[in-house]
Amino acid sequence: MSEDFDPNIIGFLCNWCSYAGADLAGTSRIQYPHNVKIIRVMCSGRINPMFVVNALQQGADGVLIGGCHPGDCHYQQGNFLARRRISILKNLLEFIGIDSRRVRMTWVSAAEGRKFAEVVEEVTEDIKKLGPMEQIQRVNVW
Amino acid sequence: MVDQQLLIEEAKKIVSQEDVKYVVGYKKGTYGFTVSPSYAYSPEYVENFIFNPLCTKNLTVYPMLEEKLPLGRDEKEDTRKIGLVVKGCDSRAIVQIIQEKGLKREDVVLIGIPCTGVIEPRKINRKFPDVKDVEDVLEEDDNYIIRFNGETHTIPKNELLSNACKNCETPNPPLYDVLIGEKVDTPEIQEFANLKDLEDKKIEEKWDYWEKHFDRCIRCYACREACPLCYCIECMADSLTPQWLRRSVNLSENTAWNIMRAFHLAGRCIGCGECERSCPVNIPLMELNKKIEKDVKELYEYTAGKDLEEKPLFGTFKPDDPEEFIL
Repeated sequence: MSEDFDPNIIGFLCNWCSYAGADLAGTSRIQYPHNVKIIRVMCSGRINPMFVVNALQQGADGVLIGGCHPGDCHYQQGNFLARRRISILKNLLEFIGIDSRRVRMTWVSAAEGRKFAEVVEEVTEDIKKLGPMEQIQRVNVW
Repeated sequence: MVDQQLLIEEAKKIVSQEDVKYVVGYKKGTYGFTVSPSYAYSPEYVENFIFNPLCTKNLTVYPMLEEKLPLGRDEKEDTRKIGLVVKGCDSRAIVQIIQEKGLKREDVVLIGIPCTGVIEPRKINRKFPDVKDVEDVLEEDDNYIIRFNGETHTIPKNELLSNACKNCETPNPPLYDVLIGEKVDTPEIQEFANLKDLEDKKIEEKWDYWEKHFDRCIRCYACREACPLCYCIECMADSLTPQWLRRSVNLSENTAWNIMRAFHLAGRCIGCGECERSCPVNIPLMELNKKIEKDVKELYEYTAGKDLEEKPLFGTFKPDDPEEFIL
């Protein structure tokens, strides 16, 4: 892809771990790509697969989902439920021809600011290689 | 071959029970190869019940569609049962609905029919266009015997068999109160055989394939209406706050709708193939459903509609579910 492609990545981060991890990355002044736009959700189990599909429709080139490490969920089991959903969704997207690397999931705890920065770097690199999302863009975005 | 006389007798017995409201079965349609659902409120209505390979409809949708009006003062809820004529896959749908607590087991009386596959209406209509009055359709060995206008045609079964029935693993109803006739043998099947070609394609080819199909979708939601498991009171497609899908019919929204429909049936689809048969533009919806069914089976060893006590797929988890995709 051309050098100047600047991907748009939506990050759905869980309030208790990943969002705090992102916060830590910020307060620790760790540099990471500016492409990820963060939306805070209370739990990764809150993420409806339609959030992901709608994000891809509305102009996102990739979606990053962050939750607590297995067993650490504030709500005991939200991230386990999310894991099942997202893995089925990724397979389905792959099957209809949307690269499943556009939807990424990660476990980041509140202490892992460094890991969050690394994850965002990796995802941004991947999406840059994949290029802009063209398949299911909405015609009139409002 | 199903003994129709026996079916009528059993249905009569059931409809004359005190605690049964009505029985839903099949009757001859008004035109060509159609078969329509028939409600029997009393024994005399049962006389027109039939069962032949044209009975494709999944009658399990009806108990879920029944409108329950708010009760007036001193009125009591009608808790009488509903009788249903069910094939193997329809019975699986009932098991799945009971499992998700959409219905209670005591809400339904099931007349089970061991089924050897149904005819795809589209195929038979292409073979015999403009037939107005069909006398009889029978199944004999590996052939269908079709009689109309005084002619008798013998057609090999494979030519007309519905796609979903070709890979059927539950010809016998897993749940029933009365069974009409003997159980049939489960045929040897190659499950998910026709998915292989599509899965092996390159990602661009996959999108080309689905783009063509989704672009034709007219969003009539016939797939949703025909599906026994799409019984949400308000569908996400109809919801306005939040509006998950725009009303406009274009590739983007159509794709989102089809992803949504397929995903909502993940771990719930019982493979009756009604969505595909009801689609007016021939979108191969069962391929999406089967793909998810396959993944669910491989990843979580879960099959829908097998066991009344099982927990729903997305309501449970195992701590050691596969997670290679997680960064």
